[in-house]
Amino acid sequence: MGYEGVPGLVATREAYGETTLVVDPARIVEACTHLRDGEGFNFCSDVSAVDYLGWGETGVAGYIGTRDGRDLHEPGSQGLARVPEPKPKRFAVNYHLLAVAGEPRRVRVQAWLDDGETIASVVPVWPTADWHEREVWDLMGISFAGHPNLRRILLDDDWEGHPLRKDYPVGGEPVRFSEAE
Amino acid sequence: MALEDGKRLADLGLQSERLLWPTRGPHAKGPGVFEQEVAALEQAVGLTTLQKAVAWAQSKSMWPDTFGLACCAIEMMSIVTSRYDIARFGMEAWRASPRQADLLIVSGRVAHKMAGPLRQIYDQMLEPKWVIAMGACASSGGMFNNYTVLQGVDKIVPVDIHVPGCPPRPEALMEGIIRLHEKVRAGVPPAYEIRGVAS
Amino acid sequence: MTAVLPKRAPVYEGTRVPSPIPTVLRVDPGKHDLEDVLRVNFGPNHPSMHGVLRLIVDLDGERIAGLSAVIGYLHTGFEKTMEQKTWWKSITYPTRVDYVGFQANELVYVLAIEKLLEIEVPRKATWMRQCLSELTRIQSHLVWLGTSALELGAISVFWYAFRERDVILDLFELVTGVRMHTRYFQAGGLAEDIPPGFYAQARAFCERMPKAVDEYEQLLDSQQIWLERTKGVGLLSADDALALGQSGPVLRASGVNWDLRKSIPYLAYDEVDFNVPVYFGGDVYDRYKVHMDEMRESTRIVAQCLERLEGMESEPWIADDRKVVLPPREELHTSMESLIHHFKIVTEGYRVPEGEVYVAIESPRGESACYVCSDGGPKPWRVKLRAPSFVALEATATCMTDAYVADFIAVVGSLDAVMGDTDR
Repeated sequence: MGYEGVPGLVATREAYGETTLVVDPARIVEACTHLRDGEGFNFCSDVSAVDYLGWGETGVAGYIGTRDGRDLHEPGSQGLARVPEPKPKRFAVNYHLLAVAGEPRRVRVQAWLDDGETIASVVPVWPTADWHEREVWDLMGISFAGHPNLRRILLDDDWEGHPLRKDYPVGGEPVRFSEAE
Repeated sequence: MALEDGKRLADLGLQSERLLWPTRGPHAKGPGVFEQEVAALEQAVGLTTLQKAVAWAQSKSMWPDTFGLACCAIEMMSIVTSRYDIARFGMEAWRASPRQADLLIVSGRVAHKMAGPLRQIYDQMLEPKWVIAMGACASSGGMFNNYTVLQGVDKIVPVDIHVPGCPPRPEALMEGIIRLHEKVRAGVPPAYEIRGVAS
Repeated sequence: MTAVLPKRAPVYEGTRVPSPIPTVLRVDPGKHDLEDVLRVNFGPNHPSMHGVLRLIVDLDGERIAGLSAVIGYLHTGFEKTMEQKTWWKSITYPTRVDYVGFQANELVYVLAIEKLLEIEVPRKATWMRQCLSELTRIQSHLVWLGTSALELGAISVFWYAFRERDVILDLFELVTGVRMHTRYFQAGGLAEDIPPGFYAQARAFCERMPKAVDEYEQLLDSQQIWLERTKGVGLLSADDALALGQSGPVLRASGVNWDLRKSIPYLAYDEVDFNVPVYFGGDVYDRYKVHMDEMRESTRIVAQCLERLEGMESEPWIADDRKVVLPPREELHTSMESLIHHFKIVTEGYRVPEGEVYVAIESPRGESACYVCSDGGPKPWRVKLRAPSFVALEATATCMTDAYVADFIAVVGSLDAVMGDTDR
């Protein structure tokens, strides 16, 4: 697809018709500026983060439903536990970009971070990232350096913790099904 | 409608708007459990004619507050429209200011962040005031049993009527409102008096 | 392809996106005397029908000097809750996110699951999904029209708009059993077959709708008060709209010819004939015109879908893959495998292969997208719902530059933000 010129590019992945560019988090602003000005991605659709804590630990069995049934040649798919491939770090921050043009294109920029690491804010590149990055900070606890207004957005200002992390409990109350409980 | 000493609601032909409840003909059913209970309460409470008149007036023009939170608010807007027409019951005047409202229909999920403003709105309403918890989320937290949704709005405000549904049909909400009117006319005090909580 | 970006003079020169924070208007001490500025809180419960949005507004007389939005009063934790449910059960959640255009979120989530499963959806399901999506779009625009007009004082439009909306909800009830939050789209197709009587009733609606839209336009188009309150109010140029991530009617009213149904078609939108309305004024009036024209175009699409669907009466409405789709109940009496499949799907849930996808559709509010990450198990690992209303509210500060306080209800209304979608 010709994304070799993106600064800080670590790897490229193609799956399900989508291109993912894995980028070094230290050079994210350069990469995004290049994609906006050089490649025409003038629209930042979404900035989100995924927490991979506990990925692969529950031993997901390899029985997978596809159009043709089970893939018998896939190692471990005879119903035995098959672990999904491990991830480099705990958090992945995904930037979904779109080129609003006569020939539209989509791309996903992915940066990997560990707990406590910060990544530069892309608000100077696309102002719409303002609230998206605040939401990521609020729910996932990933700090964006240089963000002009990094405060909680969806939860109370004095909330403790970051709910969407995997080590944060779902919360709620136990449901009483009878008066005896 | 004439108010006479000794006449009960059932004698005056008052019934809920139950479209499928046969009251005449070969399959006629007597009053339902709710009506029987309300009739029993009415006898027990024994309002005077003046109190009955006041209760009648309160029930015939109970103005709701515009407190739409989520999906249930859209069905709540539907009861104002021409097909379901809450104006038949004198309730088309939705007041934006809680100071002028009698009825708070909590329609939608209440996040913890919104619980404070909800209680503030309830406090600003003047007595007598009633609360309808519309929908599953307001009654019990609904399908959201998590860190952010208040599991039932009756944790912070006293509720008179819970209306189930996700979202309840406009007819279901109307049923809840009609039952509230019947409760009021029977003399049942608002929920804050029954529960003895701050109003 | 036709030009996407407008080739006309921009709505205003330069950019009006505030700085340093793009979503907050700061009081400019050079323009306003700080002694005169009054900070007012338009709190989470306010008369306009937008749900629980809080705006902290600095007023200098009638002019807005500063503005910032506080959201989160309807944060329901959808994404966290969906991670706890199996794929099948979690389909009931996205519908309630954007509760006005409810089938759009359902559709995008189901499309994302199907992309990961690489399952083939029968064409009857695709066309019915398209038909219902367009009915949802009309229904959502009717709610928008009714509530926006109501807030600006044109109260009677509310009753006219909801009259047609109830007809559409009757159609939903006929097909799916419920008026709102239908849970009709499943991974692989539709939950049930299309009932008889749907086509006749839907055709009657298609004949009625254009006349109804004419009625609404008759009520509003030449109304002097409406024109004065909406023309030239809430300006947003095409460049600013793109920079702020706007999509849907707001972007098209600013002159950008961008509609995902035409540019990146999904379902069967490349097989139906419809136009995309684009206006160049970038104000509230143009957003209103885009909504009205879209209602007409959607009615045309519904009519075309009905024609195609009537030729598919006996076709399957859901994929045949028993690993993902529940078997028909009659089979459970005779086939052991069906019973096992049923048991596995209901108790454990079907498993979706490991991977991540991002699927976007044109919801009534703009680009609504779903980013799903699966670990190969029966529950989603991460679901991120990209909410167009969340992004739309980012534009309030830009649209309200140099505006009167009476305009901000018009502007917030025209951005068409549903708070469930914003706060998720």
